Amino acid sequence: MAALLLPATLLVLGLLVAPMAMLFRISLNRYDAAQMMQEALTAENYLRALADPYYREVMATTLGVALSSTLLALLIGFPAAYWLARMESRWKSLATILTLFPLLVGNVVRAAGWMALLGRDGAINAALIGTGLIAEPLPMLYTTGAVIAGILAVVAPYMILTLAAVIEAIPRSVEEAAANLGAGPLTSFRRVVLPLALPGVAAGCVLVFILCMNAYATPVLLGGPQFKMMAPAVYDQFVRGTNWPFGAALAFLLLIVTLVLTILGSTILAGRSRSR
Amino acid sequence: MRLTRRSTFAVALTAGLPGFASAQQSGQVVVGTWGGDYGDLLASNIDKPILAPKGVEVVQDVGPQDPRKTKLIAERASRRGSMDVCCLSDVDMFTLAQQGVFEPIEEGRIPNLARAIPSLKRPYSAPHIYSAKVILYNPAKVTAAPQSYADLWDPKYRGRVGLVDILHLQNMEAASLAAGGTEHDYEPGKRKLMELRSLDAKVYPSNEALAAALKSEEVWLTIMWLARGFMWKKSGIPVEHAVPSEGATSICFEMSVPKNARNRTGAMAYLDAALDARAQTAFADRMGYAPTVTDAQLPPELARQISLTQEQQAKLRTPDYEYIAKNQVALIDFWNKEFKR
Amino acid sequence: MGTLTLDAISRRYATTVAVERVDLDVAQGEFVALLGPSGCGKTTTLRMVAGFVPPSSGRILIAGRDVTKAPPHGRDTGMVFQSYALFPHMTVGENVAFGLEMRKVARAERDARVREALRLARLEGLADRLPRQLSGGQQQRVALARALVVNPAVFLLDEPLSNLDAKLRAEVRIEIRALQQRLGLTTLFVTHDQEEALTMADRLVVMERGRVRQIGTAEALYERPADAFVAGFIGRCNLLRGTPEAPGRFRTPGGALLPCLPQQAHHGQVLALRPERIAVATAGDGLAARLVAVTYLGAQTEYHLDLAGTRLLAIAPTPAEGDPRRALAPGDAVLALWDPAEARLLPAEPGDLPDDAT
Ligand SMILES: Nc1ncnc2c1ncn2[C@@H]1O[C@H](COP(=O)(O)OP(=O)(O)O)[C@@H](O)[C@H]1O
Ligand SMILES: [Mg+2]
Repeated sequence: MAALLLPATLLVLGLLVAPMAMLFRISLNRYDAAQMMQEALTAENYLRALADPYYREVMATTLGVALSSTLLALLIGFPAAYWLARMESRWKSLATILTLFPLLVGNVVRAAGWMALLGRDGAINAALIGTGLIAEPLPMLYTTGAVIAGILAVVAPYMILTLAAVIEAIPRSVEEAAANLGAGPLTSFRRVVLPLALPGVAAGCVLVFILCMNAYATPVLLGGPQFKMMAPAVYDQFVRGTNWPFGAALAFLLLIVTLVLTILGSTILAGRSRSR
Repeated sequence: MRLTRRSTFAVALTAGLPGFASAQQSGQVVVGTWGGDYGDLLASNIDKPILAPKGVEVVQDVGPQDPRKTKLIAERASRRGSMDVCCLSDVDMFTLAQQGVFEPIEEGRIPNLARAIPSLKRPYSAPHIYSAKVILYNPAKVTAAPQSYADLWDPKYRGRVGLVDILHLQNMEAASLAAGGTEHDYEPGKRKLMELRSLDAKVYPSNEALAAALKSEEVWLTIMWLARGFMWKKSGIPVEHAVPSEGATSICFEMSVPKNARNRTGAMAYLDAALDARAQTAFADRMGYAPTVTDAQLPPELARQISLTQEQQAKLRTPDYEYIAKNQVALIDFWNKEFKR
Repeated sequence: MGTLTLDAISRRYATTVAVERVDLDVAQGEFVALLGPSGCGKTTTLRMVAGFVPPSSGRILIAGRDVTKAPPHGRDTGMVFQSYALFPHMTVGENVAFGLEMRKVARAERDARVREALRLARLEGLADRLPRQLSGGQQQRVALARALVVNPAVFLLDEPLSNLDAKLRAEVRIEIRALQQRLGLTTLFVTHDQEEALTMADRLVVMERGRVRQIGTAEALYERPADAFVAGFIGRCNLLRGTPEAPGRFRTPGGALLPCLPQQAHHGQVLALRPERIAVATAGDGLAARLVAVTYLGAQTEYHLDLAGTRLLAIAPTPAEGDPRRALAPGDAVLALWDPAEARLLPAEPGDLPDDAT
């Protein structure tokens, strides 16, 4: 058995750990304009990133967008997941495929769709001006709202399908029992469905939060040039600035913040579901 | 194994005999390039008519510029690279040449290079097509054609100047020239850009987004390559171009051969073919870029729209690649952290 | 506590009629069992009472109040689910307290009532366990306690014993009945097991394909079945095809003339005769029959008879040693005798008789 597992384990190590180790090593190097990179073992890239108010702001924006997108995805996703999970089996597979539909187009293509919708001459403004509701186009593209809407469209399917799998496992009769004992729909949701779905809520939020923290195409295309999240900032350092050590340090900081918050969040949720 | 010994022997033989060089030229050449029009034009004007008859099979490795650049850096240390020819714009080409990733260009192996415009020649690359940085403006809104970059700072165009994010270096250089500085130092441009910022200049994430803004007349003025302006005009976007009195700056798309290319001889042949006059005119017609060789003849009407006059040509500036390479981390920091926020 | 009235309730689905015009009155404190083969609409009826399935037509009254349109949480029924449906994330105590919390019963009273319910259900000491830490029988009793603690107007049980093993089932049957009588609960109980229904219920409702065939006490159903289906479903019964001739005479297809209760022919075409009401003799009065098979079952013996081509089953206490009937063997000639009052003509629908091919 161990002999069989070994190649697979090595492959996983090779695929997952090696690039990370490389990246970490690079983050300890020193940038050099002529040579690009000097071998070194220095924490200066990390210190510089942490000390720079600009990157603190970028990180704050990233966290803000990721947290609000995750929360909104949960708020939108829960009813949808519930509806999907409780659907007659005949339609369920069709609805599941429809849920996955948005993922069939790439992020860039989808963002283009949003741009056509939200732009100054986009469909929404055209409709609003056409009906005489507004005279001047509303600025919608290149706003934080546009980024969150764009990200939501990407992550909502993940949230919905994760939640639906867990809700499906909650027997309908348990909800009926709550109703039978006098619980209205809201109470039944709060006291029975939500606590039982908590593992799914935790899993969905972690998955979506990680996706949001690492969003690239959507913030670049819908947030506009002034809007910065961490993933585009990392890209800027690697590709436009050719400062690999600093880019690697930023990438690691993003990874650490994501990891810490993910562990923290799921520990709290897990604790809640146990104590309840 | 049996075969290897014989082929090693053959290579040793041909290497020693100059007459056999053309035999070695054949084989596969992998070209790292953009897709779309550029890649198509390479295939239909260079790969098929010129190289295929010589027995050179061209394989395009299509993708955007940034990943290609990153790939070259990442492959720097390996003995055998994945590309034989690499297409990049001039600034990136210089940056990478500094890292020592390219073969030196030997004019003897690229006969067509003799007819290239001298100011575009580099020791590490062959110039393929070029254009100039100009001002694009909406003639319906901007009635008096702008004369200089400095005209973009006119308060009457408040909120009507749009810049594209990816041209951050080019925008900074233009601002320096507008401030009376030179292409060798962008410091004066920083202050000037902050002024433009307070005049509500807009920044767009991509050329396509800027084009949409020009089309909808959300903005009226921008700094852009003449070639792209020509294409936009053809597609119905209301723009005319003005060559700035400070002097236009060239943009050149170049080709070079990585040191770790597998087929360096074939690659050099590719560069030579790219400088073929017939091939160059096709790019002018379809993409608006001017030929880099003096023997390429354009129809006069086309030439008028995409090339500079003698006088403008005389004032053409070349970006200070060395300055850019040395300062690009600081420059992008300024652009991101101060100008854009 | 209250009464329950079903007034012509029906439930139709796209392709089936699950319940068709069911009328039923359950008196205060009465235990009524819905009995019938699988798929006859018992669960649907019960769920309409609980409010989980809206009736297509008809009315439901609980304690005189029309609850047809009321949501489940506004009906004051206490339901025990077949799967128990305990809240897996709550302790036994929290499960039982849930209904009281919903009714905003004060803390002290709530605790007292939960304790009492757990005592009644013999669950003392298990209040802090989670459902998954209990045996099936214990889970079942938690479900009972949870439904009972709120003092529902109507107590509803859907095959609550089907997940227990046979021995436990017999015990719990008695416990439920005892609790129900002690608390005077108005109860509607669903089962497909006639023994369960006969031992527990005051009255039984026999259903078949969505319709009520007969409502009555166990004795009424057994002694005076309304039709051939009920006669065959409750206990064992010889159901014979033939033609009523004169009142009191029934002709079998084989030509034998059987004595029966003098009734008008329109009462039915099927003669119903309980096996234990047929006496088998070797001499004396009776109709001549041939013994096809004898099955010795200890206290009883079953005699499979052939009476001019018609099959009859007779069951009698096993005769004493030395009785000539102890020596009967297949092929022997015997005499079958019964009181004509025990043989009744019953109406039958297609499918009601076991030998009907449908
Ligand atoms: N939701 C439903 N949709 C369609 N048919 C149903 C539904 N629920 C029950 N039925 C049908 O109604 C009939 C009665 O079902 P049910 O009340 O569960 O029977 P029982 O409990 O007596 O076994 C069955 O034929 C069943 O297939
Ligand atoms: Mg049922």
